[in-house]
Amino acid sequence: MSSPLQPSSLNSNRVRIVVATSVMLTFISYWRAAAIVLNDLASSAFYACGIAEQAVGKSAPWFIVAVMLFSFTVRAVYVESCSMFVRGGVYRVVKEALGGTLAKISVSALMFDYMLTGPISGVSAGQYIVGLINEVFATADAHGWVPRAVHSLFNGTPQLNVNWTSVAFALAVTLYYWWENIKGIHESSEKALWVMQITTVMAVILLGWSALTVFRFGYQPVPLPTPDHLHFTKESLGFLSHIFSGQSLAHTFGLLGILMAFGHSVLAMSGEETLAQVNRELAHPKLRNLKRTAIVIAMYSLIFTGFSALLSVMLIPDAVRVPVYKDNLIAGIAMYLWGPQLLRLLFRGFVVVVGFLILSGAVNTAIIGSNGVLNRVSEDGVLTDWFRFPHRKYGTSSRIINLVVILQVLTILASRGNVYVLGEAYAFGVIWSFTFNSLAMLVLRFKYKGIRGWKVPPNFSIAGHEVPVGLASVFMVLLSTALINLFTKSVATVAGVSFAVVFFMIFTVSEHANRHKFALAEQQMKDHFQLLQRDTVERDALNIRPGNVLVPVRDYNTLAHLRWALERIDTRDQDVVVMSARVSRFGAAAYDLAMEQIFSDYEQTLFTRAVSVAESVGKRVSLLVVPAGDVWSAIVQTANNLESSAVVAGLSSKMTPQQQAFAMGRAWEAVPEPKRQFVLQIVRPGNKVDSFRIGPHTPTMKNEDVLLLHRLWLNITREPGLEQVHHHDILTEALTRFAHDYGARDREDIIKELRRTARESGPPVSSRTASQIPTVQPEPTRNENDREDLGS
Amino acid sequence: MSILGTLLARILEAMFAVGSVGSFVVLLLSGIEDLKMLLGREESHDS
Repeated sequence: MSSPLQPSSLNSNRVRIVVATSVMLTFISYWRAAAIVLNDLASSAFYACGIAEQAVGKSAPWFIVAVMLFSFTVRAVYVESCSMFVRGGVYRVVKEALGGTLAKISVSALMFDYMLTGPISGVSAGQYIVGLINEVFATADAHGWVPRAVHSLFNGTPQLNVNWTSVAFALAVTLYYWWENIKGIHESSEKALWVMQITTVMAVILLGWSALTVFRFGYQPVPLPTPDHLHFTKESLGFLSHIFSGQSLAHTFGLLGILMAFGHSVLAMSGEETLAQVNRELAHPKLRNLKRTAIVIAMYSLIFTGFSALLSVMLIPDAVRVPVYKDNLIAGIAMYLWGPQLLRLLFRGFVVVVGFLILSGAVNTAIIGSNGVLNRVSEDGVLTDWFRFPHRKYGTSSRIINLVVILQVLTILASRGNVYVLGEAYAFGVIWSFTFNSLAMLVLRFKYKGIRGWKVPPNFSIAGHEVPVGLASVFMVLLSTALINLFTKSVATVAGVSFAVVFFMIFTVSEHANRHKFALAEQQMKDHFQLLQRDTVERDALNIRPGNVLVPVRDYNTLAHLRWALERIDTRDQDVVVMSARVSRFGAAAYDLAMEQIFSDYEQTLFTRAVSVAESVGKRVSLLVVPAGDVWSAIVQTANNLESSAVVAGLSSKMTPQQQAFAMGRAWEAVPEPKRQFVLQIVRPGNKVDSFRIGPHTPTMKNEDVLLLHRLWLNITREPGLEQVHHHDILTEALTRFAHDYGARDREDIIKELRRTARESGPPVSSRTASQIPTVQPEPTRNENDREDLGS
Repeated sequence: MSILGTLLARILEAMFAVGSVGSFVVLLLSGIEDLKMLLGREESHDS
């Protein structure tokens, strides 16, 4: 009997597994990439200036504008790093340049950033919503629309507790996205684009209406960012408040005061890390599209965040700006625009809806991002595999998601809805992850002298040595800001350092504990499996014949579809390829995956089970692991590359067979030409099988449709000169006319008719139409082709 | 304030000042590059 498995090309009896190391991604345009980044970056416009003004005074908007201009240069550093590492990001870059220890520290800072992104976004969204509700109550009460009973119940105008209601809202949003991530939602660039389109509409109205208001009523000037105009509070001086009073420091040090104010405003550029994460998914030409993405997000955030910060001081009176609107400044701008109150209130409602969408999205991004980073760290052996154990039903890394969300929930509760405290702490993670990234890039200039796609300008050459002036300048600003923040943000320093130390210790201890276990596991794996690395999945290179059957596997407890396929296929004639898609979610995809990381303990268990199934049936299988951003896309691309004739899949726990086929079909449409059609067979429990053709194919025609076509043919061929017309000629003409009508004036009517047809349970329209066409007996001398045509 | 504190403050100020000037140059040069790219006059760096 033949070996149940494809033998190794070498002399061992180990199972050969091909591990493809290039992730199969669906590529996106730079507009979509910019939308994903802006969902994170632009959300800070809703709270950054309020926090900065509380810390440094009325000239805060200038510092926000300065930070947004400086963010152009930080983005330049990220573009350079992405031109070196397609899967960049802080961990990858710092590890490459500075080693594992500093990489762990930088990831700890990044985790602190993510740990606060969710809470600050959720609480801020809550502040906007509760602010609107209270405003509506106040307006209603002023008009006498609030019943007396309600009025007396609240001892005056009904008002919700802003901070605690915001906490409740933030918890609800966080828990909602926790459940969505546990189920494994797909990060949609389309949704991000849609949110940014709505945000743009709001921003255009806001800026236009504000310009009109300024033109009509004038504005109050924003004090220039000079030391004289800085007003630090005891809180914003942090540890320095023990030495100096709030007013004297700026006068004493001058430029140091400017630096402190700048440090209090850096959270406005949070979200840059997302740029490195989406880089992988950018379509060709990658570098050019990356630069375009960077320009779009830089311009957008400068205009939206910068101008809205300036407008908040220009339009909202001093008496109410900080006391009433400090946590919902854009809503405050809406209330001080020129126009009737009802219209302003309606626009404020729109601002709140947009704020809810973009800030809620940032909560989700934080969970996805931190899950991705911890997954990557875990894959690298610095967290035990226990964290990555897949959810029994959904297959997601639920333990990491639970850990992240528990920390976020505790942060939300500890903040008690205070956006200022959250913002101050948030800045710690933001600035330190940027600082580590720029330091690493600076070190790489000297450590790695190879050609780069792009370099931060300017660069001079002295005695044959390159001096990266631009990169060093950006690093100096970041480092000086990070260091001054250590002194002025006492809460952030204590919380951030504690958090980073705890995470660093967990990483270090786990890594140490794992080292022995990994060495043992690696040896076991080497005993059983032979890993063959390939950059891409190519049929010839994998020695697989065309017309093979691809069997995707994911959960080692549900391999019934593999057994079903093997029992029916003679593997001497047709190869069976068992494939596991190693999903790198949005976030995790940013990091480079080594072969051993792609083929982890989980894949080892999964393929051991798959091999057992093959052995029990006595058939040969080929094993393949591919990293992927999206499972459907990975399956379709693999089937296409391997020239598979069929894909046999198990029934999803979340989707019906029809939904699975639809998802597969959509993924097929996204694959570039040339592409092949194949049959998708979904094996349900009890070995019931649903078959679908993926790609364009001859549709299954109903009898009524065949009858209608035949009657039309009988009639048409009686016309003079049309005796030779075939059935397919009629179909061609009908479809051409349909396409013309659909593309022109009748589109709505056609859609309406199709909807009605889909709803109707009675006899099909074609049947009724056919009955209206008089039956004509065919001429006795019909040609043979048409008989065959009808028969088929 | 101690001498060490003053020294640290001066170092931070110097770093920030020099870095800001350099960053402004980065902003200008990369802005010109971006403008060229948007106008379609840049050579492609993509391999």
